Amino acid sequence: MPSNTVAQVVKKPKEYHVASFVAQAITSQLSDVEQAITASKGSEIHAVTPEGKIVFTLEASTQQAIGKLIDKLKYHTGMLSLAPVYHQYLNENNEDN
Amino acid sequence: MTINRREFIKANAIAAAAVVAGISVPASASNLITSSELTKLKWDKAPCRFCGTGCGVNVGVMDGKIVATHGDIKSPVNKGLNCVKGYFLSKILYGKDRLTTPLLRMTNGEYNKNGDFTPVSWEKAFDVMEEKAKTTLKEKGPTAVGMFGSGQWTVQEGYAAVKLMKAGFRTNNIDPNARHCMASAVGGFMRTFGIDEPMGCYDDIEATDAMVLWGSNMAEMHPILWTRVTDRRLSAPHVKVALLSTFEHRSFDLADNGMIFTPQTDLAILNFIAHYIISTGRVNQDFVKKHTNFRLGETDIGYGLRPEHPLEQKAKNNGKTAGGSVPIKFEEYAKFVSTYTVEYASKLSGVPESNLIALAELYADPKTKVISFWTMGFNQHTRGVWANNLVYNIHLLTGKISTPGNSPFSLTGQPSACGTAREVGTFSHRLPADLVVANPKHRAIAEKIWQLPEGTVPSERGYHAVEQNRKLKDGELNFYWVQCNNNMQAAANTMEEALPGYRNPNNFIVVSDPYPTVTAQAADLILPTAMWVEKEGVYGNAERRTQAWHQMVEAPKGAKSDLWQLVEFSKRFKVEEVWPEELIAKQASVRGKSLFEILYKNDSVGKFSLDEVSDDQLNDEAREFGFYIQKGLFEEYAAFGRGHGHDLAPYDMYHEERGLRWPVVNGKETLWRYKEGSDPYAKKGSGWDFYGKPDGRAVIFALPYEPAAEEPDEEYDLWLSTGRVLEHWHSGSMTQRVPELYKAMPDALVYMHPDDAKARNMRRGDLVKLISRRGEVQTRVETRGRNKPPVGLVFMPWFDASRLVNKVTFDATDPLSKQTDYKKCAIKIVKV
Repeated sequence: MPSNTVAQVVKKPKEYHVASFVAQAITSQLSDVEQAITASKGSEIHAVTPEGKIVFTLEASTQQAIGKLIDKLKYHTGMLSLAPVYHQYLNENNEDN
Repeated sequence: MTINRREFIKANAIAAAAVVAGISVPASASNLITSSELTKLKWDKAPCRFCGTGCGVNVGVMDGKIVATHGDIKSPVNKGLNCVKGYFLSKILYGKDRLTTPLLRMTNGEYNKNGDFTPVSWEKAFDVMEEKAKTTLKEKGPTAVGMFGSGQWTVQEGYAAVKLMKAGFRTNNIDPNARHCMASAVGGFMRTFGIDEPMGCYDDIEATDAMVLWGSNMAEMHPILWTRVTDRRLSAPHVKVALLSTFEHRSFDLADNGMIFTPQTDLAILNFIAHYIISTGRVNQDFVKKHTNFRLGETDIGYGLRPEHPLEQKAKNNGKTAGGSVPIKFEEYAKFVSTYTVEYASKLSGVPESNLIALAELYADPKTKVISFWTMGFNQHTRGVWANNLVYNIHLLTGKISTPGNSPFSLTGQPSACGTAREVGTFSHRLPADLVVANPKHRAIAEKIWQLPEGTVPSERGYHAVEQNRKLKDGELNFYWVQCNNNMQAAANTMEEALPGYRNPNNFIVVSDPYPTVTAQAADLILPTAMWVEKEGVYGNAERRTQAWHQMVEAPKGAKSDLWQLVEFSKRFKVEEVWPEELIAKQASVRGKSLFEILYKNDSVGKFSLDEVSDDQLNDEAREFGFYIQKGLFEEYAAFGRGHGHDLAPYDMYHEERGLRWPVVNGKETLWRYKEGSDPYAKKGSGWDFYGKPDGRAVIFALPYEPAAEEPDEEYDLWLSTGRVLEHWHSGSMTQRVPELYKAMPDALVYMHPDDAKARNMRRGDLVKLISRRGEVQTRVETRGRNKPPVGLVFMPWFDASRLVNKVTFDATDPLSKQTDYKKCAIKIVKV
């Protein structure tokens, strides 16, 4: 990682991130892959097809956290592909003001 | 309030993914849409900034910053999906070390090649550049001026650069980094079909019965196309996937027939398949008789090294005749490939005979529709043009071409390698729409469209990428401008060629980049650049799809697009300072004008007024120059191809559509070229019409297996292959700045077979040195990861600026395409 040329002091904003994914899994290992997804904090499976497609979301307070979960999942045995579809975040600082 | 907004955006996320997957989800999860929430974000479309797939992305902007992205559901390419790089796409704009001021090497307030980088104004930066360019032109002439550009330039940027170099400065020394990536593919297309770029399109994936990956690791390099391949394989059980590579990688998970072959022997396997088709009586006789010619190519053509290299001294045909060929008959061709028996191909390649036969059967069986995919394995090859020719041979022998599902498909690595580098012709030998500088008729076409006197464009081919580094080192190329690439990291044999060239005291090197890359740090002047949706542009992807986008956010203050830099710099040259009097005398109207007025602010490029840019639309360049410059450049450029098989639609149409595949004739795109009925250029009654060749016939070439430039021996006992990884795009100058991607794959490791590690007394994680005859690089051993090389070969990716594998690689190139072979050289590995 390149080092900062200019030091930046930024107050960490409070954020809510949500991302959705479509995964393709080898059908014989589908339940295994499903388990791996649901074991991740902030995850929720919304649909699964018999051909091995899984629609799920990840929620977290940073994009890094979502990135980490992707890393954990993308090389899971039986996972053929993992494609992020949608990502949005909310800045929730001063939300009540 | 917070809960509602959270639920709302989560529902959006679920709905988007469900639509993409073609799955219905419970209504409760998707019926929360409220219009007031939607209006807070301003959405617009753009093609992705990374690979050549050309996925569509929707970009959501709030308060001048990108806050949401998702795969464009309306994009026919990715149908709403993203890959992990695409997912983090917007973050490439917000790296912490983004450059916002020109930096000049200075001592005591003056330019000094050995000084330290010092912030200067744009005015001062251009003053020094102008002085250096003018001195070089005066003392050495146009051949001492050069530019290295990119398949990541927008079409308009590439076109503006070609005009500035080939017409303005009258030098053909402009080449793109696509030379490292696509040149062999271009050579293959031109040699076999006489016209560049794939005949088929991505729709072939859903129509095919078999897919063969030649070297390509699509699971990591083209992940979205890979999801389409996976989808096809899983949803149609009869579909087969065959895969050839010099090491095992992620794509093998889906392969029905995975094959590891010895480097360079792909040439022999390709000839074996041709022989198998012929010897089992499965040649499509009717197709071959009507639509092909056979030719025997020149052999022993050398390795594109410096002329004094022993390999060049030894080669018989490494001169201008290297691309030569003579006509032969089918019987002679059949005899030529008959030596490539399954036994011979198996012995040479190390692939078991049964696997080779199963592979050949996919091509030979007339009932099986087949796609061949390839990228760098064929292209970065000292016989890269040959490899491309040989794969076309097997599709032509069987007539499996230009129909849905039958498709030899050359994939690309950069977002506009096709659109900008190839179609615009930013190569040292090319002009737009497949025209070449060596052809007087082609130069005349360019001069007419550009409204310039006859003789403006020089006829001599300029220096290509590898030659540019050699000429910098030799002191023959002295003013050099690098835009939109990271060639100090990307070029082979850095220590012997590239670095000495950049640091040669006779040379002045300018590098334009958003970030302080390795290349920027080797320069004398760095110009900070606006990127992606900070400007308006057009890209062209691997399936001939041309896509446009608008500027959506402001660039950081101080950063300027490549287009602005090129055009603004042109204002500093009066034509009398760059052209000889006899040329000016041919067209008195240019007298006294600047290159800006001659090339850009004229009645062609300059004819679209600012009125066409709506008030609420960002467009910094148009407003600064006072006319709709992106549209003017595009429309003038499109004049080269319209009516000649390269037809592009009117510019405004691309802002409405999710891209269109050229030729676009009467508003209709073309999915399969050369096939009567689907390609408007294919003549009626022809069936197939390979109209790039004067007689409408494609060429089947007899070309042999020849060995690699360097093979392992007793001292340098391992093959080294280099390449890419999923998380990083090319040299990593953008993706290494995305914390999530950096953390996922921080360092380039050397992937090694456990037995090779054990034999050298090494363990996973050990610090080692890779040493070649040219240089060395340190890294750590990985024996387990996602790449599993066979004994005798190691793989190291090149994205990592902190450990440059190209210090070790060999600058042997394909003598026909001038593209470097990054996949094969000999090294040894020792413990540190």
